[in-house]
Amino acid sequence: MRAALSTLKFLEAGSLSHAFKIMKTHPGIMPTAGCTDIYVSLNFGTLKVREFLNLWGLSELRKIQMKGDYLSIGSLATYTQIIHSDSVKKWIPMLIQASSSIGGMQIQNRGTLGGNIGNGSPAGDTLPVLAAAEAVVVLGSTEGIRRISFNMFYTGYRKNAMNPEELILSVEIPRIKSQQWYRKVGTRAAQAISKIVMAAVLSKDPEEQQDPRRIRIAFGSLAPTVIRAFRTETALAENGNITEAQKTLLSEIQPIDDIRSTALYRQTVAANLLAEWWGKVSPRSLIKS
Amino acid sequence: MTLKINEPKAKESTMAKAVQWIGAPLDRADGELKTTGKARYAADFPLERMVYGVPIVSPAASGSLIKLEVEAAEKLPGVLFILTHENAKKIFPIQNDFGTATKLAEGRFPLQDKKIYYAGQYVGLAAAETLEIAQEAARLIKVICKEERSALDSEEELPYSYFPDNNWGTPLPVIRGNFEKAFSNTEVQLKAVYTTPVEHHNPMEPHACTAVWDGDNLILYESTQWVVGARNVVADALGLPREKVRIISHFVGGGFGCKGFVWPHTLLAAMTAMHLKRPVKVVLSRSQMAAGVGHRPATHQELSIGSSKQGKLTAIKHHTITQTSFLDDFLEAAGGPTQSIYSCPNLLVSYQVVRLNHGTPTFMRAPGECTGLFALESLLDELSYTLNLDPIELRLNNLSDKSPEEELPWSNSHIKECYELGSKIFGWKERNPKPKTMKRKGFLVGLGMATAMFPGVRSPGAAKVKILSDGTAEVLSATQDLGTGTYTTMKQIAAEVLRISPHRIVSKLGDSSYPPAPVSGGSMTSASVGPAVKSAAEKAIEALIHISIKDSSSCLYHLPLEKIHAADGKLVYQDDPSKTEIFEEILKRNNLSHIEGESFVKPDNSAEGYTVQSHGAQFAEVEVHPLLGQIRVTRMVGVFDVGRILNQKTARSQAIGGMIMGIGMALHEKTVYDPRTGRVVTDNLCDYLIPVMADSPAVEADFIDKPDPRFNSLGVRGLGEIGITGVAAATANAVYHATGIRIRDLPITPDKLLKWL
Ligand SMILES: Cc1cc2nc3c(=O)[nH]c(=O)nc-3n(C[C@H](O)[C@H](O)[C@H](O)COP(=O)(O)OP(=O)(O)OC[C@H]3O[C@@H](n4cnc5c(N)ncnc54)[C@H](O)[C@@H]3O)c2cc1C
Repeated sequence: MRAALSTLKFLEAGSLSHAFKIMKTHPGIMPTAGCTDIYVSLNFGTLKVREFLNLWGLSELRKIQMKGDYLSIGSLATYTQIIHSDSVKKWIPMLIQASSSIGGMQIQNRGTLGGNIGNGSPAGDTLPVLAAAEAVVVLGSTEGIRRISFNMFYTGYRKNAMNPEELILSVEIPRIKSQQWYRKVGTRAAQAISKIVMAAVLSKDPEEQQDPRRIRIAFGSLAPTVIRAFRTETALAENGNITEAQKTLLSEIQPIDDIRSTALYRQTVAANLLAEWWGKVSPRSLIKS
Repeated sequence: MTLKINEPKAKESTMAKAVQWIGAPLDRADGELKTTGKARYAADFPLERMVYGVPIVSPAASGSLIKLEVEAAEKLPGVLFILTHENAKKIFPIQNDFGTATKLAEGRFPLQDKKIYYAGQYVGLAAAETLEIAQEAARLIKVICKEERSALDSEEELPYSYFPDNNWGTPLPVIRGNFEKAFSNTEVQLKAVYTTPVEHHNPMEPHACTAVWDGDNLILYESTQWVVGARNVVADALGLPREKVRIISHFVGGGFGCKGFVWPHTLLAAMTAMHLKRPVKVVLSRSQMAAGVGHRPATHQELSIGSSKQGKLTAIKHHTITQTSFLDDFLEAAGGPTQSIYSCPNLLVSYQVVRLNHGTPTFMRAPGECTGLFALESLLDELSYTLNLDPIELRLNNLSDKSPEEELPWSNSHIKECYELGSKIFGWKERNPKPKTMKRKGFLVGLGMATAMFPGVRSPGAAKVKILSDGTAEVLSATQDLGTGTYTTMKQIAAEVLRISPHRIVSKLGDSSYPPAPVSGGSMTSASVGPAVKSAAEKAIEALIHISIKDSSSCLYHLPLEKIHAADGKLVYQDDPSKTEIFEEILKRNNLSHIEGESFVKPDNSAEGYTVQSHGAQFAEVEVHPLLGQIRVTRMVGVFDVGRILNQKTARSQAIGGMIMGIGMALHEKTVYDPRTGRVVTDNLCDYLIPVMADSPAVEADFIDKPDPRFNSLGVRGLGEIGITGVAAATANAVYHATGIRIRDLPITPDKLLKWL
């Protein structure tokens, strides 16, 4: 049953430091950005939280800017903002692909990158992109600012390494010299929660491909959290044999049956996507085959 | 050819030199009201002192109610009343029968006893000053049940199933010749099992009812496909004279069958309003719409088909196992199309129904036709490959001038032209018949087709047409516009008779105080109400002529009435066209605000000795991703023979809407129940997938547009349902053609396909 909105308390932060203070002094409070995830769980009656902190007015968290050799995307940046950003287009086009595949226009106008990270659904469409990009999450609280590698951020199903009073401030994306790839598979053509989602980067230089760090593959909807397929990356870097790599991948993921898909489908398609990507982007595989 | 007409245009008829309004592609009369938000739906009437009601539902799927713990909710400020079985008004037994317009959707009244038949059944209602408070109250109420073993699994319950002995009066099983004997002797035999899941209607506008008492008169603003049925049921059940109950349903945001009959929430609203003596509004949540307002039940269809090597059908058996609740004997009659399209001397159509602890199923767009055609038209496709015959040729081989069911000539049938025109528009000839041979940009491409059908149905219907002294006119009928175009088409019919522009006519519908009309179901509104509008308009003109020939100051005074007719807003004397009188002048001079004609038209016997049925040919093109199994319908064509078309634009929209709904049936829609609790898991539009715009391809709909004068005075057969009927099969056949994989279980999801790719 839907939670009555009149039973909810909604606090407003005047500034970032004010927000930090509220987070510190109101244990259990939940920050809200676009509310596109939060409102769904309130409507389903599954969210027990009754006190919220509205971050929407903190425009400093909405900036997308180059900072030296990385691109910083504020946690409140909406998908619409990301889709129209020239810097994102230059730096990390696969994030534009992911953002364009999310919901419909209304959701893109309200939904934020920080919210996708904070919500932490294994099907979150931007998360494999951040994993493959080796992004860094910038967190803040009254204690100060700290950075954590995105690939260390999730600790379990919808669990993360944040302290309860911390806020996500931004995401920093280092330069990716390699070719980017993004693929979302849903049952219908739009407005679909992913059955499986993949992001990958690969250097165009055949020499560099043998360096495992030049091959980065991430998947969503295949495990309790978004995952980097580290062992598959290594396998590909070592010998470029896609059949071997597919086997390794299957040992790395733990897909489940749910109402959106079967585990078998997810396994098969993960392996197929890997092969499709490798076939298209790897010059080495092209030469070999 | 697709009609691409934006401007309303009418055909010039040379004979009468008058404009032909019937058929003209007029814009919808309700379009502007809807796009500007002025159209008021059942929940949109802002009434003073409104009370909000939220149903309280059973968490258990069977057993009985022990009690409702209401104390916490009652203490909530703003809570006015908690309706329960303990304080509910006694409801009177009613006839509950379709013929007398007293059909209940669920054959049991709410809160009259403690029995529980399905999860989500109403066990009470929380009424409060605001929606928020009512929701919170409903949340706080603890429903304590004594749960019993629930019947939730069709297979487990099969031993307790029953074999229905009739379907709407037609004895079951349907037997022709001797299936067993003919099948064993036939040259080619095929057998297959096809299954379809439970589906939910999920119209955009949820079910809603606003109940208002005015003394001992009750007005219900109700989202319904049948204001007359709702009026009768509510009046009889509450023990009120029918003239004291009025149902208003000016706009309905889609129904597809689930708003055909009265569901229990309507009575809860009326009962609460009676108790509180204030208006009460009840709007069901999406989740409540999954439990208690019907669904299309699942089917398991076993088909056997025998044929000669040349492709002449010799024997068909179609056994359907389907489901209903413990409350009603609903039958999803999937064998209907098998009985009634192709001639086949030996046939056996039978059913078996399993009772489950789910809510009662109900009609959903083309009930029986679209589930049955998925199976039949898929199996014919399989047969076409076995025989190495073109699928269209196979179908043509088995058509007859007579209906296979009644062995009567068709009242009017152009099924062959549907295949012809359809295959031309679609480009069927370019299809390489061999599966898995067509490719495009890395996708496997497949083309498939299927026959569409829907029986011609009509019921008695009434309408009133008023000519007003300002030169405008009104059409009044207690029919309802579900978003289909009825407001517009009824004006067009009146315009054609009155000979004035439809822009000067207003349709007033959706009010039980108007002349009675049948349920907007069975695709019968146009064929039932249309002739009444025509006849009422004729009577109105006749009445006007009578006045004018008795009016000494009229130039038509004492002229023979059979020589006077209407033209261009005037009465004209045939022998001397200079003798004319404008409608409004006659009325004004005689001090009349208006003149009216009313007509109640029953189906006459002109179609006796004939079978009335609509047909169509549907084509689908799909692209299948070879690695992901993703399926997209890229193109669809449907050509339908549905008698005369009343409005090319609204007709086309109906057909396109039906076809897109068919994509949902083919590829997306499936209701999932929790096997432990019997609750619907897919009780929201995130988990219950229907096609979005990105799934809707280029769809072309065209019509043969030849009247069926034997059926009614307009020659119209109606087309609300036929558009969906062949889509699932055409899509499944296209998927087979693309991949060589036959999926016999809907929806065709990538998971099912990928196993084989
Ligand atoms: C119709 C619809 C379609 C959707 N389609 C998609 C889709 O295709 N793909 C997809 O991935 N998602 C989809 N979503 C989910 C959702 O829109 C996204 O996850 C979105 O990014 C959430 O952002 P938000 O700003 O609305 O988050 P909110 O709902 O405001 O918050 C989500 C969570 O993140 C936390 N949070 C938000 N901001 C911060 C912060 N700065 N610091 C700390 N915690 C924070 C909140 O406390 C909360 O736990 C859809 C949702 C809807 C309703």
